[in-house]
Amino acid sequence: MKLKRTVQIIATIIQNSYIPAFFAGGIYQGVLKRACTPILNCWGCPLAWYSCPMGGLQHFIGLRLFPFYVAGLFGTVGMVVGRMTCGWICPFGFFQDLLYKIKSFKMKLPKVFSYFKYVVLVGVAGVIAYITAEPWFCKLCPDGALIAGIPLVLADTTGDLRALVGWHYYMKIAILLGIILFSISIKRFFCRTFCPVGAIYSIFNRFSVWRLKVDKDKCIACESCQMVCPMHVGIYRHQHDIDCIRCLDCVKICPTKAIKHEVR
Amino acid sequence: MKSGRTALLSTFIVGAGQIYAGRLWTGIAFAAIFYGSIALMVIIWTGINQAFWGLLAAWVLIWLYNILDAHKGFRYQKPPCEKICPAGIMPWAYINHLATDSEERYPYVPFFDTLGRICLAPCESHCTRRGIDAPVAIRYLRAGVKTILPVHRHKPKKKKVAIVGAGPCGLSAAYYLSHRGYRVTVYEREEKPGGVLGILIPEFRHPQAVLDQEIETLMTLKFELKCGVEIGKDVSIEELLRDYDAVFVATGVWKPIKLGIHGEENALDGFDVLRRIKKGELYHLGKVGIIGGGNTAIDIARSLIREGHQVAIYYRRNIEDMPAEHENLEEAKEEGVEIIPLVVPVKIEKHKITLLRTECAEGRKGQVKKIEGSEFEVKLDTVVMAIGQHPETDFLKDLVKFDKNRHIKTKNGKTSHQKIFAGGDVVLGSATIAHAVGHGMNAARRIDAHLRGLPIFLVTLFRKTYSPKVRLLPLTETPRITIPHRDIEERKGDFKEVELWAKREELMNEAARCLACPLRYHPH
Repeated sequence: MKLKRTVQIIATIIQNSYIPAFFAGGIYQGVLKRACTPILNCWGCPLAWYSCPMGGLQHFIGLRLFPFYVAGLFGTVGMVVGRMTCGWICPFGFFQDLLYKIKSFKMKLPKVFSYFKYVVLVGVAGVIAYITAEPWFCKLCPDGALIAGIPLVLADTTGDLRALVGWHYYMKIAILLGIILFSISIKRFFCRTFCPVGAIYSIFNRFSVWRLKVDKDKCIACESCQMVCPMHVGIYRHQHDIDCIRCLDCVKICPTKAIKHEVR
Repeated sequence: MKSGRTALLSTFIVGAGQIYAGRLWTGIAFAAIFYGSIALMVIIWTGINQAFWGLLAAWVLIWLYNILDAHKGFRYQKPPCEKICPAGIMPWAYINHLATDSEERYPYVPFFDTLGRICLAPCESHCTRRGIDAPVAIRYLRAGVKTILPVHRHKPKKKKVAIVGAGPCGLSAAYYLSHRGYRVTVYEREEKPGGVLGILIPEFRHPQAVLDQEIETLMTLKFELKCGVEIGKDVSIEELLRDYDAVFVATGVWKPIKLGIHGEENALDGFDVLRRIKKGELYHLGKVGIIGGGNTAIDIARSLIREGHQVAIYYRRNIEDMPAEHENLEEAKEEGVEIIPLVVPVKIEKHKITLLRTECAEGRKGQVKKIEGSEFEVKLDTVVMAIGQHPETDFLKDLVKFDKNRHIKTKNGKTSHQKIFAGGDVVLGSATIAHAVGHGMNAARRIDAHLRGLPIFLVTLFRKTYSPKVRLLPLTETPRITIPHRDIEERKGDFKEVELWAKREELMNEAARCLACPLRYHPH
């Protein structure tokens, strides 16, 4: 198996492996929950050890405080490796990678959609969360619906949670279904269009210490890199594309070895 | 038909059609998502509320998506060779069938064998393998490929389509439309169908037998072919518009371009020379100079060399920028055709031509600058002009819009007139056979959509894709095949085909060089 897949599986297990949840129910609330994982992974998941940075960000915004802790985490990780965490340790990204392997008819997404994630970041996770003082992105997040909403409600023995199921829960499932459907025919549909964590990291792609470099003289514009890319980025055209997740598949596959990674 | 049934199956049971078509995991995934989410909602049901309608919309979307998927089937991402092909051929698919010695046959494309002989092969200049060593010999490899006519024919329809011109473009459109069940009539000015293939392209590049075979295959579709009928003279365009539901114009380019230089009437027209050579009318031209750098010029030169003439080609740009097919050019050089680049004619007299030197930047688009005062004279017996042609579209009168050279203006095959469609050289100017075939097929799809009263995007959306059964082979180190040619001295003596067939094993070895980009570079 490829190194990337192995890392993705191990990272998913490390982030979501609170086994006692199977016996005790409920979610982990110990000391590790104070730490943020550097990627979108719902803290409401019964198996999750760490908290979600997006949840933390909105929590602080709701409290009308500057989120120093989360901003520092994003800044540090982003400045060093850019958007690499999306490609290697994001469980929801991994899920979408697997969905794209399904042999269905495939579509391409216009580049404009890549900028919609900033609207989600500023609008939903910023302005709306500030005004209403509630984490509105979390209320819509398909990752939350998949790994927290569904298992929590299904495993609920007391019936307290099921009583809470209402229009909001229905909507969340509907969004999740839409995202899953489009991820089958479009590469990483959620990551490219909606993910606010990706939106923050993608700003750092241009400035990060470690990044990709394309040797324009060697490149023959065969587009193999774009074909193999899980985000459909034409790295030979835009070296610091906001959607590059540094999975390094293109580096491995390039027939002329024109793509390299470098430390500035 | 299998694909019709798959869509029907998926309409009733989500995922069933995909499983029936052999895509087990796709079917399971669709069924799991659809029925799984319904089961989830049944378990946790708390009654209808506003957001339930959103959920319902999601389910309907999945259901529709699943039907569309069952209908269309899986297709790999387009590799460069397929993207660039004007005729829309999938080279990687037939090469993979050849390399894996598969039983599967590539679906029929009109003029497939012809394209294998005289295509410019843009696929080879875009092949990914060129980054490793040299491109795969895509054009040559079709020698080992057998295509198959689709068994399924659509029900005969009452609508009638007239096609003007039985060249590669017109016949491709006739093939597609008669396959869709329309009643097609093709009008041809000449005595025989085939257009440039039958009249101009010399025997050693494209044997008549190949064309005859192709026409025979096409005629199994039973469309009507009326040769010797010229539109505008024997039949008027108004009659066609009255009798038919759509008219497709693919007349090509036949009117020679004039340079407007002194004494141009002393020169012969290139198409005329080629036509007479092909008919076997030998005539003595003495020492010949040919003006132009396209395939026409090279073809004339090679034909005349075979008849024992001394030939030189005069071209205004660098040799590397000649629009002629690369291999045609190489073979011509081998046979002793003299090519003099960077000159333009200024004056043509009997037995003499005056030329002017030029300078120009590399690339076909750079401007050609004349160097004043660098005139020189060459003694020639005959001058042949092969600098391109304009279309003869006078029979259309003012029914459609034209550009300044009387090329028809089109938008995806549709002209400004409701019932008239156009394609091929009459739209593009002198292009290749591959362009003609692709244009013919595209315009035919457009006509089909028009006659059914559907918007074109719906037709494209529901277009079935050919999903070949392909297998990834390990990377090989074999160098590119050297295409066998007949001995130079031997081939200069006759008009038989120059390229020879390699053995099947050699072809398979060459096919194994293909990287199969869509498979190798699919995100796994």
